[in-house]
Amino acid sequence: MANLLDLLRTPRGRRAALAAFALLLAAAPLALTGYWLRLLTNVFMLAIMAESVNLITGFTGYPALGNGVFFGVGAYALGVLMTHGGLVFWAGLPLAGLLCALYAFLLGFAVLRTKGHYFLMATLGVMEATREAIKNLDPLTGGDQGLFFPVTRFSPAQLNVYFFYVMFGTLILTVGTCWWVVRSRLGYAFRAIKASETAAGVLGINATLYKTVSWAISAFFTGLAGGIYGYWATFIEPPAVFDILLAVKFFVMMLLGGPGTIFGPVLGAFLLEISSTVIWGWFPRWQLAIIGGILILVILLIPNGVAEFLRRRLRHAGLGAPARQGAAG
Amino acid sequence: MNAVSLGAIYACLGLGFSLIYGVVNIINLAYGAYLMVGAYTTYWLFARFGLDPFLSVPVTAAVAFGLGYLMQRAIINRAMRVNIISAMILTYGFDLIAINLILVFWSADYQVITTAYSGRSLSLGGWANLPYTAIGILIACGILALLLNLFLNGTRTGIAIQAASLNPASARLVGIRIEGVYAMAFGVGSALAAAAGSLLATSFPVFPGVGDAFLGLVFVVTVLGGLGNVWGAVVGGLALAAIEMASVPLLGPSFQQLVAFSVFVAVLVLRPYGLVGRQFFAELK
Repeated sequence: MANLLDLLRTPRGRRAALAAFALLLAAAPLALTGYWLRLLTNVFMLAIMAESVNLITGFTGYPALGNGVFFGVGAYALGVLMTHGGLVFWAGLPLAGLLCALYAFLLGFAVLRTKGHYFLMATLGVMEATREAIKNLDPLTGGDQGLFFPVTRFSPAQLNVYFFYVMFGTLILTVGTCWWVVRSRLGYAFRAIKASETAAGVLGINATLYKTVSWAISAFFTGLAGGIYGYWATFIEPPAVFDILLAVKFFVMMLLGGPGTIFGPVLGAFLLEISSTVIWGWFPRWQLAIIGGILILVILLIPNGVAEFLRRRLRHAGLGAPARQGAAG
Repeated sequence: MNAVSLGAIYACLGLGFSLIYGVVNIINLAYGAYLMVGAYTTYWLFARFGLDPFLSVPVTAAVAFGLGYLMQRAIINRAMRVNIISAMILTYGFDLIAINLILVFWSADYQVITTAYSGRSLSLGGWANLPYTAIGILIACGILALLLNLFLNGTRTGIAIQAASLNPASARLVGIRIEGVYAMAFGVGSALAAAAGSLLATSFPVFPGVGDAFLGLVFVVTVLGGLGNVWGAVVGGLALAAIEMASVPLLGPSFQQLVAFSVFVAVLVLRPYGLVGRQFFAELK
């Protein structure tokens, strides 16, 4: 165990460990059954959303608890594009993501004027309002009846593997983009805005524009996750994809893993989803209480996130950029 | 008339929520759970012992006060030292546990309380019919609002709560124990939620999702009314009921919530301290 930790102390060791882990995951369909593949696909999906909300919350300092709205919009956008627009999955998916980015960009100019708690509540309000709007757009979305995606020709076993790789690839794309964004000029602007918006403005950073861009990127990837989920589930309805529990879940994964770090949110998704699913298997009637209990324990025991916890243990293991403090605020 | 009594329940819920939010400065996502504690306790007392639902209001309020006080005192105060957002997520954990307990003990069914006077109305000379339960709800909410106002402005604890809300650091300097004040505010707010839940159970069916359904609306009430005084929540509650009523003939019943939440986001962006709120009370801390 000590040797393994030593390995993580050098940048090369960390890169090697990461590559090994990614390869192991990529080979998982060779060894795992359908149940575990679906569980991992679900973990990837939550990791994509945790990583995305980290951009606007962990790096830019705006607590977007209602980021789940883009999951729903992504799922519905792809569903409508495929059923009414006749597009195939691979053509529709990027478009669905872009629609989410556009939605966040336009909303951002108004909603990102609020801060802290107000922003948090505004994002929840946006989520509720959007859900209601989609319910009322029944000619396109099917309203309360929900929406069926076009059927595929593949067998369930093939689909398990297919969606595993689609979600895995999207996760890598998301983490890679975040890694690149955080190191670019954009990333410096985001962190400056989080530290002090006024000071950032004095330095010549157009805060309104940059935070809107941050939210749009976040929305893009959350929308991709939503679109893939919709095609995977083959049926979506408003309460299922605009779900507060889901939104809180990936927000907590980000908090648990470490806001403002690159790999923290992914780590949080793995830890929280796998543990809660396994424990849920033991006590099937207590699913909500188990998630609730885990949330409470996580907040009380690891308030600054696992990444910060590990960083202290390993000294400069630096799972990404240093976590400054908890989430925004 | 039902819309007015619903508005009164919104107002009562808004009072408790904005008290907790204004003083403790956390968005209490377990607020819907306290509403359900009230509603289900009332239902249970009625079904098991035949206790009149209006008479159970003091009982449920007392139970919720105790639970809320303990929750803030023992757990949330501790989490708040680290991070205010984490403290909020903590309350969501409690919400999930409460919903799960209700699902296990009462199932997901709709429960209805039918008293001897349910469905009967007071007739005012043929031009208006006032259901007895609606009159009861209005009177009860009025009493609760007055009591809260008396408590906040007329007692030492109430004034300490206001001081802590305005400026926690200065309040500490003049000798107020902030942790205790927070627990007190959380307890009183929870009691109001449970009272509103009990009143809700007199006229509306209760089910395990009712807390979360109302939680979203409580946000709207709080933001519409603004923080800092008791009348904000009353204005917010009645305004929400009026918005919901007005949107039905204009757009149709399915647009009620869409309109409510759109107004909510607009008010947050344009006038974040609400329609009648006092600006300093809603400042970010």
